[in-house]
Amino acid sequence: MRRCILVIAAFAVLTCVAPAKARPEFTDAERRRILAHGPWPLPVPRDPSNRVSGKPEAIALGERLFFDRRLSSTGAMACDWCHTPSLDWTDGFARGVGRQTVDRNTLSLWNAGFGRWFGWSGAHDSLWAQSTRPLLDAREMDMSAPRVAERVRGDPDLACRFRQVFGQPPSAMHDEAVLVATGKALAAFQETLVSGRTPFDAFRDALARNDTAAIAQYPADARRGLKIFVGRGNCSLCHLGPLFSNGEFADVGIPFFLPRGGVDPGRHDGIRQLRASPYNLLGPHNDDRSGAAAIRTRHVELQHRNFGEFRVPSLRNVARTAPYMHNGSLATLRDVVRHYSELDEDRLHADGERILKPLRLSDGEADDLIAFLNSLSDDGTPFIRRSTATDPPCR
Amino acid sequence: MPGRIAAIALALLISIPARAADVLPIFDAHLHYSHDAWDVVPTLEAIAILRRAGLKRAMVSSSSDDGTQKLYAAAPDLVLPSLRPYRSRGEIGTWMRDDSVVGHVEARLKQYRYVAIGEFHIYGADADLPVMRRLVELAKQYGLFLHAHSDADAVDRLFVQDPQARVLWAHAGFASPGIVSGMLRKHRNLWADLAFRNDHAPGGKLDESWRAVFLEFPDRFMVGTDTFTPERWHYVGPHADFSRAWLASLPKEIAERIAWRNGETLFSRMMNGR
Repeated sequence: MRRCILVIAAFAVLTCVAPAKARPEFTDAERRRILAHGPWPLPVPRDPSNRVSGKPEAIALGERLFFDRRLSSTGAMACDWCHTPSLDWTDGFARGVGRQTVDRNTLSLWNAGFGRWFGWSGAHDSLWAQSTRPLLDAREMDMSAPRVAERVRGDPDLACRFRQVFGQPPSAMHDEAVLVATGKALAAFQETLVSGRTPFDAFRDALARNDTAAIAQYPADARRGLKIFVGRGNCSLCHLGPLFSNGEFADVGIPFFLPRGGVDPGRHDGIRQLRASPYNLLGPHNDDRSGAAAIRTRHVELQHRNFGEFRVPSLRNVARTAPYMHNGSLATLRDVVRHYSELDEDRLHADGERILKPLRLSDGEADDLIAFLNSLSDDGTPFIRRSTATDPPCR
Repeated sequence: MPGRIAAIALALLISIPARAADVLPIFDAHLHYSHDAWDVVPTLEAIAILRRAGLKRAMVSSSSDDGTQKLYAAAPDLVLPSLRPYRSRGEIGTWMRDDSVVGHVEARLKQYRYVAIGEFHIYGADADLPVMRRLVELAKQYGLFLHAHSDADAVDRLFVQDPQARVLWAHAGFASPGIVSGMLRKHRNLWADLAFRNDHAPGGKLDESWRAVFLEFPDRFMVGTDTFTPERWHYVGPHADFSRAWLASLPKEIAERIAWRNGETLFSRMMNGR
């Protein structure tokens, strides 16, 4: 008995004097979620529906076309008018400004090749089809298939490069085939726009290999913000994976009335447009003979909840792509964090378990979350064009 | 003068005739016109939306009830008022524990006439809380339906409180066809709206499990849009078209019942003489 008391007493002393083991900063579940945001970068994507995806000649042709102002009806704007390289492939405006101001914010092209649906409403199911949209939109580049074909055929150098990439000169192709080929070359170029590594990626990889010294390099406020992001904030439920996006659509309580009247139905309209598009993956321009690429298009369903849903954007380089949300209605990351902190639950339907709840963040927590979001930016290396007007002519 | 022109324009808008006679009329049993909608979808525009959609009747409840009264005053032939217990947005999760709700509901019932109390959100044992119990009593006293956004458990509890209650089950509880049919069998005074559901008609085509339920209970269903945000007023028309599309695969007589006759039979006479 006496011996037993001694053992207990010794244990009690030990527990008092031994230094308390520090509680891990992240739970196992949080750690798993953090690791799922990498590794980064992913390999440059290849699109099976685009037979020239990944081909160097197609990438070079796509780059030329991307900056070619002759592809707009006025000759004043090319793709870079809205997707400006020095502005992280967006334009800095709340809503895009082509020949007219459009209804939605210009999405950055960073990592566009990894997408499943394209545009805020997912009205296209391939990057090449999406790339034809602004060409044809009267508010933007205001072209048509015949006019695109005419411009391409009329430039011997461009026509030569088309022949090299697609195996036949544009003069031998139908107007629509030239338009689609233009979209595929543009897509091949955009697939190369993969953002660089970020402070978060270094932290994530350090966490994966338990490198405590490297882990400590990641700022404490960003770590606290990350904990909110993968923890009680539940942000990573939609902003998941290496891209920080599930690629799907959600109604996050942002009003979707249009300044010109009416509403932007978002995904609801996107699905309708997708189904009606002659350029969707169920059509003749899909190069994927296996049929696998078209499965998602075949099975997408129109639902009431799609009304007012918009695509969950990637958060890579998010700090440099303000303003935010589908209509650019939130000017800063702080506005975005405030939106989720003070979310109006009544704008969300009480259908089943709610993913979105007001985060009710303190000012310090909001600062931490913003610090984390800032850590998702790469070093911003300027884009350098690989093709120039002084290149040797195509032969 | 500009105001007069605007008034004439709005009058023209409001008098837009419903769609052609061969278009299936719709009784929309699930609409809200809450305070944040009043400016962005003004009353006359809201009424014009309902008429353009070919709605025969629109059962409306709002946070606050003033929204419902605005619509009813503008189109008493079209709007059927239901009294939502919420005075503003933000009370969905708290109203059942707020005693002041009872006084509010009692005062409105004395002031205005309604076909139902609801839509309210109540789940499980919360249906036995005093505020909800009082609403059941008031529904009985005034001869009103209860429009309940509830799980099956809460619906059962409402019927325990008043076996003669008449309940319109919002969204059919988002329950499976098997559970819904079981509830309809169990409670003869239970009806269901299909608002914000797609599973009965995925891709716009009637699901076979649901077809069996509709054929077994053709008098117990209604359709509804659920304008839970102001923007959704612009979905009333598309939703009516969605309903017409899947109803077309039912026998005409049953399709008409679900589209509008059930609602008309149950609710329309309740406002007669009022």
